[in-house]
Amino acid sequence: MTFLDPWGQESQKQGSWRGTIHVHSLKELAEYENLAEHVKVTQKDLEQDGFSKNPFFHGIIAEVPEQHRTKEGHRKVGYTLYFYSYSSFVGRAIYMEDLYVMPEFRGKGVGKALMSKVAQLALAAGCHQLNFTILDWNKPSMDFYLGQGCFDATATIGYHCMRCEGEALKQLAQL
Amino acid sequence: MEYKLRKAEPRDVPDILRLVKELAKYEEMEHQVTLTEKELLEDGFGDTPFYHCIITEIQGEKSSEDRKVVGFAMYYFTYDPWVGKQLYLEEFYVMDEYRGLGIGSGILRNLSNLAMKTRCTGMMFVVAENNEPSVQFYKRRGAEDLSQEEGWRLFRFDKDSLVKMAAPSEE
Repeated sequence: MTFLDPWGQESQKQGSWRGTIHVHSLKELAEYENLAEHVKVTQKDLEQDGFSKNPFFHGIIAEVPEQHRTKEGHRKVGYTLYFYSYSSFVGRAIYMEDLYVMPEFRGKGVGKALMSKVAQLALAAGCHQLNFTILDWNKPSMDFYLGQGCFDATATIGYHCMRCEGEALKQLAQL
Repeated sequence: MEYKLRKAEPRDVPDILRLVKELAKYEEMEHQVTLTEKELLEDGFGDTPFYHCIITEIQGEKSSEDRKVVGFAMYYFTYDPWVGKQLYLEEFYVMDEYRGLGIGSGILRNLSNLAMKTRCTGMMFVVAENNEPSVQFYKRRGAEDLSQEEGWRLFRFDKDSLVKMAAPSEE
């Protein structure tokens, strides 16, 4: 298994992995979460937002050797998408937006390895915390993460994730 | 009362930390603030800022030097791969004695404008469920509670768990 970090220091030349996180991977994750109709981002958006001079996100991809490729010929079997954030209490932090491994490659340590990579990058960048969200029915994911040593900040501190979008955002801008 | 909303500058760092601690005290989490002025300076005003800040200052009564920072918002840009860029509101606070004057609404208006200008599809933030005044403040303005409505739970790894996870596997 190799880990390709097209955005970081270990990366190959800029642009060689353009479009690597295919929208179909995001859609697979969204389908698993029963939220597929919410994926509005396009391949073009991802390329622009992830690969410009000041990217809005970073990603790591898990790739298997040739002999383990899927029936359809895929060698990229998992990914994680993250970005740097900031906690007003402790400072630098990382937010892991997505973590996905194709079903046929689960239970082999790919998820753990991707998370370990994110943790290494987080510590190297001086981060004190790694945050992410999980859907409350997603017991397999919750068990996996709790097993890795995190805690549920919604249950313990009562943190609720809020969003203002669409009309509500427009209204706020005109207040 | 005259107040001015502007981008924070390096000289505002002591006030930013003061207000962060005041808000933490209000949330009964004062002991959890380990951030220092040095980190705030480096992280907010270096080559690659981790956060941005706008502050509200009021003109003092006595002289033009007598200006006071009475509110602030700390934010950064995040990414939702389904819908694109988001503006994440990390901290938003107005000192007790200066509330009810429209300062908070002014800050939100400024940030929402910025969100729209920068092609963000939403503004996101976290609120503690027992913070009723804040929850109502945001819901009145059209915010959705994603934890309640869609079941999203926020999980966190602190520094110690990060170190354990970063260690190479024995497998």
